Amino acid sequence: MNKKSESKPTLDLEGALELSPSPERIPVTIKERYGHFIGGKFHDGADESLFETINPATKETLAHVAAATEAEVNQAVKSARAAHSKVWSKMGGAERGKYLYRIARRLQEKSRELAAIETRDNGKPIRETRDVDIPLACAHFFYYAGWADKLEYALPGRQAKSLGVAAQVIPWNFPLLMAAWKLAPALATGNTVVLKPAETTPLTAMALAEIMQEVDLPPGVVNIVNGAGATGAALVGHGDVDKVAFTGSTGVGRIIMRQIAGTKKRATMELGGKGAQIVFADAALDQAVEGTINGIFFNQGHVCCAGSRLLLEESIAEDFLERLQRRVRTLRIGDPLDKNTDVGAINSPEQYATIQRYIEVGRKEGANVWQGSATAVPDTGYFVPPTILMGLQQSDTCAREEIFGPVLSVLTFRTPDEAVKKANDSEYGLAAGVWSEKTSKLFEVAHRLNAGIVWANGYNLFDPASPFGGVRHSGFGREGGIAGLWPYLEVA
Amino acid sequence: MSRLSIEKTVKQYVGGKFIRSESGRVMAQKGSDGRTVFVPHGSRKDLRDAVRVARKAQGAWAARTSYNRGQILYRLAEMLDSRPLPTSEADAIAAVDRAVHHAGWSDKITALLSTVNPVSGTYVNYSRIRPLGVLVAAPAPADALLGMVEAACTSAVMGNAAILIVDASLGELAAAFAEALHTSDMPGGVINVLTGDAKELLAVASIHDDVDGLLLYGERPELPELQTEAAQVMRRIALRTSAAIPACPIELQQLAEVQTVWMSAYEPQGGAAAY
Repeated sequence: MNKKSESKPTLDLEGALELSPSPERIPVTIKERYGHFIGGKFHDGADESLFETINPATKETLAHVAAATEAEVNQAVKSARAAHSKVWSKMGGAERGKYLYRIARRLQEKSRELAAIETRDNGKPIRETRDVDIPLACAHFFYYAGWADKLEYALPGRQAKSLGVAAQVIPWNFPLLMAAWKLAPALATGNTVVLKPAETTPLTAMALAEIMQEVDLPPGVVNIVNGAGATGAALVGHGDVDKVAFTGSTGVGRIIMRQIAGTKKRATMELGGKGAQIVFADAALDQAVEGTINGIFFNQGHVCCAGSRLLLEESIAEDFLERLQRRVRTLRIGDPLDKNTDVGAINSPEQYATIQRYIEVGRKEGANVWQGSATAVPDTGYFVPPTILMGLQQSDTCAREEIFGPVLSVLTFRTPDEAVKKANDSEYGLAAGVWSEKTSKLFEVAHRLNAGIVWANGYNLFDPASPFGGVRHSGFGREGGIAGLWPYLEVA
Repeated sequence: MSRLSIEKTVKQYVGGKFIRSESGRVMAQKGSDGRTVFVPHGSRKDLRDAVRVARKAQGAWAARTSYNRGQILYRLAEMLDSRPLPTSEADAIAAVDRAVHHAGWSDKITALLSTVNPVSGTYVNYSRIRPLGVLVAAPAPADALLGMVEAACTSAVMGNAAILIVDASLGELAAAFAEALHTSDMPGGVINVLTGDAKELLAVASIHDDVDGLLLYGERPELPELQTEAAQVMRRIALRTSAAIPACPIELQQLAEVQTVWMSAYEPQGGAAAY
């Protein structure tokens, strides 16, 4: 184990694996223009409000999308209110559940098409949309469908009732999956929804709207308005909204919380993170390497719970980094539609610039910047190769702020106490990972971490039965599991 | 000859010590025996000091066994029951019974609010509840002693440390409550009692980054400002109309965080391996 990396055979995968066209490469239908889905019908939206959504891997325009005006948002909230008071809140739970089951099934049937659209619009590898995003979205609807007729068990000792109209604003990193996380529990609990997808990834939400039509969901139960920040502000600020659910940055979360202060609106905030990935010397190191890679290079690091701070026990730090770099050199960056691709494109030019800026800041603050991949970085779109920043201090910018990209910051520790202290030394508290083969240590450290989710010998695992959400500046409220029902219910 | 009575000095209770306000300010209030009492007018610095000791005390309090915390809360009921309290008999009885009620949740609430989640994978996945941390609680003056007991016991039973902000009009009663706390084996710093102008102290609490949550009872006209300031640190705010009925499990849950742990296992949690 003491051999230096130079003596180990390196893997040169450039051209080693031929392009293997995935079935998702077959063209899918993307319309030239999208508007909004209000009251069960599609609306074109205003011509002057059109903006483009691009394929970030090629920079080509995929479609033009209308941004909703205040009047359109108002119309959407109105139709959600009518659907809530006249239909959805009066319908039996079992019937509501059957609609959700229908949606889950239809998503499964259309999963190839949805994965293909998602990968084009978002830039993430088809391997991820096909195996993670879409199947998990289906699973969320299927899971919460079963809760719809069991809400009397949701609040111990109390009768539950729905809140009313939920305004939901979701990010671009898991477009369809985030829509599912938001819609499924809201609908199961008898609320109606106005959803605003991210402006850079509206396409799968519009495909989902088609599914809502196909399954005969009563008009107005789900409404979708497109647009950017202004549309979102109009939506969460609307006077007839009872509930605001937001996933995105802590900065925007603060703006929303200030906007709704003084109203009776309930909120769920799923915000940023700076997840610690703690690797003890007694961990299964090769598995921990895999976990570290899943933690930060999955979805190009565009994951709020990403394990972006690697904390290594000092005695294994050198060995571990060698193994990690060797493994990173086998990751294939490139065409997201190639099923062998591990790392896809950064979703937008803005995010690309943000990541580059952070890497530059890291360099200026004295970090040793290392980048690696098995294939050349394509020059067609927005790509950032897996990046590791070494020699950082706990107080450095890149060890504290959320980068939201494939950038891993490495720190070391000597004792479990120091590991916990460093991991908890963050304003965020969304997720953390801990690696050890010693169970007592895993439990002790896991329970001492100030984080809403802790993975012990794993990272970035998601399941509809598993509550997800943060503490401190990472937000509040949970999505998934029985705890995911609570933010959408009140005591009757 | 009539005996000259002993007039008790009303003090605040912070870190297990009875203190005057560092500001030296007092608010003259009508006492229970009709005489004027001088209630400490808690200051910004009093609150900051209290947050510091509460933060220090919280970890050790949460680390005690549920059985032990339950016994201490029950002991609080014993101490309240055995002393003269400057309040109505009905209020005193309700307050004692409320402490007994919440003491009993200590080793049970986790069983109601935690779950083992059947995930698809080789992990034992469970969601547990852990304390929010340091709370600032403002009981409604109308709820008298019952309000203080409800705020203190619900905070403490969930493993939090709390600073109670009590309106000066109830200063004498707050001091009596603090004396019961002091003799209940409750470690210093877990429950702290400040008196004065609730609005003024809440405004200070709302810009203190180390306050994890606010627990507010009754009408609070200043709520919009408190919510606006809370956005900076995503501070949790739990609202209660009154202390008339005890917080139910889902309300207790608001004073805690759900933490989900994925613990690696050899077999899927749902049962025997399928292979």
